[in-house]
Amino acid sequence: MNAAPGITSAQLTGRHKADESSPVRIAVKDLNFYYGSFHGLKSVNLNFHDRQVTALIGPSGCGKSTLLRTFNRIYSLYPDQRAEGEILLDGQNVLDSKVDLNELRSRIGMVFQKPTPFPMSIYDNVAFGLRLYEKLPKADLDVRVEESLRKAALWDEVKDKLKQSGMGLSGGQQQRLCIARTVAQRPEVILFDEPTSALDPISTGRIEELIEQLRSEFTIVIVTHNMQQAARISQFTAFMYLGELVEFGPTTRIFMNPEKRQTQDYITGRFG
Amino acid sequence: MPDHIVTSYDTDLEDLRRSISEMGGIAEKMMTEAGEALVRRDSPLAQAVISADTRLDTLQREIEERAILLIARRQPLAIDLRETVTAIRVSNDIERIGDLAKNVAKRVVAIADQIQPQKIVIGVQHMSDLVQEQLKDVLDAYASRDIKAALDVWERDDAIDALYNSLFRELLTYMMEDPRNISFCTHLLFVAKNIERIGDHTTNIAETIHYLVTGENLLAERERPKNDASNYATVDMPGAA
Repeated sequence: MNAAPGITSAQLTGRHKADESSPVRIAVKDLNFYYGSFHGLKSVNLNFHDRQVTALIGPSGCGKSTLLRTFNRIYSLYPDQRAEGEILLDGQNVLDSKVDLNELRSRIGMVFQKPTPFPMSIYDNVAFGLRLYEKLPKADLDVRVEESLRKAALWDEVKDKLKQSGMGLSGGQQQRLCIARTVAQRPEVILFDEPTSALDPISTGRIEELIEQLRSEFTIVIVTHNMQQAARISQFTAFMYLGELVEFGPTTRIFMNPEKRQTQDYITGRFG
Repeated sequence: MPDHIVTSYDTDLEDLRRSISEMGGIAEKMMTEAGEALVRRDSPLAQAVISADTRLDTLQREIEERAILLIARRQPLAIDLRETVTAIRVSNDIERIGDLAKNVAKRVVAIADQIQPQKIVIGVQHMSDLVQEQLKDVLDAYASRDIKAALDVWERDDAIDALYNSLFRELLTYMMEDPRNISFCTHLLFVAKNIERIGDHTTNIAETIHYLVTGENLLAERERPKNDASNYATVDMPGAA
């Protein structure tokens, strides 16, 4: 891979290096999205690379959450919202009406801004999806729950209270519980919609550390308003504005030397 | 470029720019006066140069502190981050230029009462004039973010190195001609070396301007012009085999 302009080899080493040779996991092609008559996404074309963290940034209302919500078609819960174009997950268009939504959502998991534990035990929260879709014997289920909680870096904190309610955990723990619930489905892609905006700096640090670990197994897309967070944890960054993709590239380049004036104005706090 | 939404951010960056410009003014004046003091063997003027250096040191510390605080407070990105880091780098270079000009002035004090033919000083004076121009040009380029002007300065460092080489040989020759020249010429050699180093710092600043404006490292693209061969220079003793 050639170094992007403006990026020295020193910046491109280690875990911050954007691996552009990594296969494309999700290819967004000419995607348009409408909220009724409002044109929310305008001809977006974008590739998401496997086992890389891609951050979506942009001011409120720019379409980044909308883009995220198209991947697992969560928008289809609302009747007057529709998407046109293609979102190819491993070559298959997820917008195709023949796609089974439950299967799609087990392949593309999602973690929201506010932790959303179910009002049940910690164990049952993680086992919830597994019980629905996979009829596992109890022993296997135990293994999967433990594995998921470990991957979510929560196991050591909850292993002695798996029967207690998930609602009794702290905000940061609840968020990791939701991540464990998502991971339990063994998805290919995990979408994070501002996963730390409701958390204190320590819990935020734990989630960021976790995302870095999860990257070895999953393709990750994260929407964040925290520019430094995007710079810290992502390999690729996409800047969106007014429903359009303005600039996409390796995170180091976007944050050190963006090509587009609009990107620079936004990330340096000059927007307006 | 539009202003920041937070206006005090603009003020912080503006303050950095203003302090650098003040440092640049002082360094330029020191350099010019050190050159004049050398030509006229003017000790009082040399003393003035020496004492001006304190203000540069203070400003450099202030700029560094303010830049570090700015990073802590505002976590600058892209052009703002480059601007902040650049302020630290450029202020360091200017502070070093001040030290070197001060060293020149100290040498001037040391040789002020030695009577020597003026022709020995002319070469050093010429070099000093060239470097003064480099310094002025690079500081202007920094203030106006003029990458072309910065590159001009960068490329001209070659000529200064070449001049330093020939001066080095010339002074060695004077010393061999008459051992009474040795003390004077040795001081002049150091003066010339200090001036040559000032030239190197103007080259550093030119590289920093390139990074500030483009976000790209100049040295990743091309090699630094280097023509200082004095490390290897020797002059044969007259009459030696």
